[in-house]
Amino acid sequence: MADPTLGDQLIFWLLASLTTFFAIFTITRKNPVTAVMSLVATFFCLAGIYASLSAHFLAALQVLVYAGAIMVLFIFVIMILNREEVAPFSWRPLRVAGVLAGGYLLLKLIGLALGLPRGAPSVLPDDFGTVAAIGDVLFRDFLYPFESISVLLLVAIVGGVVVSRSHQKEVAAVEAAAYRHQIHEMAEHDYPGAPEAPTTPEGHH
Amino acid sequence: MTFNLRLIPLLPFLGAAILMLFGRKWKRDTVLLVAAGAIAGSCLVAFDAFFTALPQAAAAGGLHDVVGTWIAAGSLKIDLAFRLDALSGLLCLIITFIGFLIHLYSSGYMEHDPDYPRFFAYLNLFCGSMLVLVLGDSLPIMFIGWEGVGLCSYLLIGFWYTSNANADAGKKAFITNRIGDLGFLIGMFLLYHTTGTLNFRELTATATAAVGGSSGLMALSWLGAPVAFWAALFLFIGATGKSAQIPLYVWLPDAMAGPTPVSALIHAATMVTAGVYMVARMHALYLLTPGAMAIVAGVGALTALFAAIIGFAQNDFKKVLAYSTISQLGFMFAGVGTANFDAGVFHLFTHAFFKAGLFLCAGSVMHAMGGSGDITIMGGLRKKIPWTHGVFLVCWLAICGVPFFSGFFSKDSIIGGAFATEVFGQDVAWVGKAVGVVLMLAAFGTAFYMSRLYFLVFSGSETRASDEIKHHIHESPGSMVGPLVVLAIGAALGGFIGLPGGLFDHPEWNLLADRLTPVLGPEMEIAHTTEIGFMVASVVLALGGIGLAYLFYGGGYREPARKFAAAAPRFVQLVRDKFRIDELYDRTIIRFVKWLANQIFFFVDRILIDKVMVGLPAAIVDGFGRFARWCQGGDVQRYMAVFAIGAAVILYFATQPMHTFFSSPLKVTVSGLAVDVDAHRSSKPADRELDYSFEFDDDGKPAPPGTAPVAHHVYAKPGTYTVRVEVTDPNWGTSSTLKQKVEVR
Amino acid sequence: MPTFYYLILSFVLFLIGTAGVLLRRNALIALMGIELQLNGGNLAMLAFSRELGDLKGHVFAFFIIALAAAEAAVGLAILVALFRGRQTVNLDEATLMKR
Repeated sequence: MADPTLGDQLIFWLLASLTTFFAIFTITRKNPVTAVMSLVATFFCLAGIYASLSAHFLAALQVLVYAGAIMVLFIFVIMILNREEVAPFSWRPLRVAGVLAGGYLLLKLIGLALGLPRGAPSVLPDDFGTVAAIGDVLFRDFLYPFESISVLLLVAIVGGVVVSRSHQKEVAAVEAAAYRHQIHEMAEHDYPGAPEAPTTPEGHH
Repeated sequence: MTFNLRLIPLLPFLGAAILMLFGRKWKRDTVLLVAAGAIAGSCLVAFDAFFTALPQAAAAGGLHDVVGTWIAAGSLKIDLAFRLDALSGLLCLIITFIGFLIHLYSSGYMEHDPDYPRFFAYLNLFCGSMLVLVLGDSLPIMFIGWEGVGLCSYLLIGFWYTSNANADAGKKAFITNRIGDLGFLIGMFLLYHTTGTLNFRELTATATAAVGGSSGLMALSWLGAPVAFWAALFLFIGATGKSAQIPLYVWLPDAMAGPTPVSALIHAATMVTAGVYMVARMHALYLLTPGAMAIVAGVGALTALFAAIIGFAQNDFKKVLAYSTISQLGFMFAGVGTANFDAGVFHLFTHAFFKAGLFLCAGSVMHAMGGSGDITIMGGLRKKIPWTHGVFLVCWLAICGVPFFSGFFSKDSIIGGAFATEVFGQDVAWVGKAVGVVLMLAAFGTAFYMSRLYFLVFSGSETRASDEIKHHIHESPGSMVGPLVVLAIGAALGGFIGLPGGLFDHPEWNLLADRLTPVLGPEMEIAHTTEIGFMVASVVLALGGIGLAYLFYGGGYREPARKFAAAAPRFVQLVRDKFRIDELYDRTIIRFVKWLANQIFFFVDRILIDKVMVGLPAAIVDGFGRFARWCQGGDVQRYMAVFAIGAAVILYFATQPMHTFFSSPLKVTVSGLAVDVDAHRSSKPADRELDYSFEFDDDGKPAPPGTAPVAHHVYAKPGTYTVRVEVTDPNWGTSSTLKQKVEVR
Repeated sequence: MPTFYYLILSFVLFLIGTAGVLLRRNALIALMGIELQLNGGNLAMLAFSRELGDLKGHVFAFFIIALAAAEAAVGLAILVALFRGRQTVNLDEATLMKR
């Protein structure tokens, strides 16, 4: 590929700045819903950048899965949970130090990146980034990882359900059993050796 | 000539070991059999060695037995070896024979004691150690025995350890001994440093060869005195500790807290004589320094007189005998201090018999009096315990120096020798005479206080004790009386081995001096008139002392005694309180030492050990624990923050081209004005491309950077320059600087 | 555009994500920060994939998206369970396992 055209540059800078802007917007919002919306916007911009990188399939996936599915999940959860925010930001020194360390890493990596040979990106085949091409690689070379990912998703589903399951029924059952035991002991105490009174077994109703 | 000398100390050691392991389960008779059997075995071997084997080997230095090499470190080689010549052989005989008698006596004396096996184990251990001391071929071996008898003395004095007083007495003995041992050690070190050997034969040879010279042992040291003087003096300090002379005698009277057989064996016949033996053994060294000998003789004489005076006013039977021992030891030291080695050893021999006899009589009397040793309530025991009285009579006459008993010959030869000695040279010949005069006074004192003891205990018709004690008075059993009689015979006849044959032109009558000549040199020559004169004087003094005592105490407390006590009560009390020397020591030295120990305890133990050495590691571990606990705080964002910080740190360090924290790895080779600088970190080729920029401090212009880690440069003028190499990593943009000073000529 | 531009953008996104995770008390926002980090990684993957002409980067990015989905699901489930117990999504109060 030759030097980037004006169009390419324009698209890049536009999308890049939008992405950055929305990303910063996301993490600085007090209202989680706003943050989610902003994140969705970030993802859209990123999808655009992917497309400019000839990653068509990934761009589509980004919108479908990330912006479509994951963010919807987020919104559901936000609506379930209470929204309270005493102090949104936590400026603890260690965390700030972590961010600064991250900034140091960023600078170093930028320096490294700038020093990389500015080779031209290679010539890409026509079907680079299309579904067919990726599917080809995916089902050929990466079959096992692909199947593992499926299993992973299954595990995630099951795990999610299990973790967020309500434990009300169990607690009630335990309490009922304890209560029944207590009654039995009182009966034994008052009338030792008396024959067991017929109890109506559960589940007959 | 070799002989199985090792058996002599080995048998008692075996006996001690066996008794310590199994003694408690055995019957009394078995215990006695093992213990006394071991000593008897040693005695037989010693007799055999001394009388049959030694005469042939005497000229060659005696019998020899090398067990093995003990220390071989550099130029220091000490063998575990024993040597039996006339001197050590005589002492072996004394130790084993009298030890055997005391074992028999103890079977009766300690009959009712529940710790019977332990007693005999300790007794055997003591005998073994004492034999090692005496038979040792070199100063370190002697020191092993020296320490061993000190230990046994502590164990036996504090035998009835449940009483605080006994335990304290044991401690006092051990600690006072230890102070003396320091002197012994310093003397040993001096000798080794100067002569390079610690073996007795070699030391004697070196010392004899150094007479009149000015190097080696005679090399001048502190205060202008030769090394030999200081070595002899320090060794003598050790002797004052072990043999209870001024200033370290204070433990001996307290040691009477132990069982009486212990007092008889250790503090009369054997251990306390170790100091005298040591001086006699090192006689060649002492002969080099008349100054040290003067000190030895002077201290001995003064101690003899001082202890005798204290003995005038003691009311405890064993205490009188204790001070008597100190006094007689003073005589012995005066003897060896005036170069009259034969006489000193002779007195050692006779003293062993009559003093052991006196102590065992004390045990017998105390046994009769129901355990009390208070002579103020005794009296008239002559008829009631006749055997004990008979033995005591003989030993008493011996110690007073009544003619033809053993003490007469030995004490007289010491006094005569003191006056006649020529070892101090012409200028200070008065030292000998002064020593002699003091000894004569001490002899008079000896006669006085021993006679006081005799009269107060045995004479008279009335026992001053209460009725219940009087009814209890009975003679001791045969096991106790038997040894007493044997000792009495020794005390009576022992003097005949050292007859002053020289008087009658038959020097060979002096068997002892004859035997000792190969070891200690020829007998001292005393003019006939001097000798006879002092013999007469000694007899006069002895009879005078006895007479004065009779006047004061014959048949009990008499008028003159009461008048004297009434006239000077404070003085009498002072003497009875042993001149309050113990109190003086306590106030000056002991208090200071205790204070010092407390300070050290506070500083070292409380602060240094508890706070710093224990507290610091504990604090460090605690800090680590706290840190670890913090790390796992459960706060996820903390984890991520640490992640990020960690990654940044790793990145920083991983991208440094060279690590200059620990050392500067510039290899600089200088040859003339040219310098080769190699900035390689290791011999492996670099795995990264790095840029090197060399700066040679020449004119301020750094060389252009290149990729080669080596550079060559020629300086214009000689001097000291600093070579700087800057290494950069072009990818990461990091750089580090290495510096090295280089000197160019 | 030359690759390194995209790289720098991905680093920046990653940093913003990190800051979001570290500096926000609300657990939901922290999870969003994690999503941002993952996306930064994705971007780098795709940029190199284009430079090298290799589709493996796309496949990896595919996997990362799937993984992110799974992780978001489970994370949110945990959050729901947490909320049920403590009635709060404040991460600072969730440092102990036991109440």
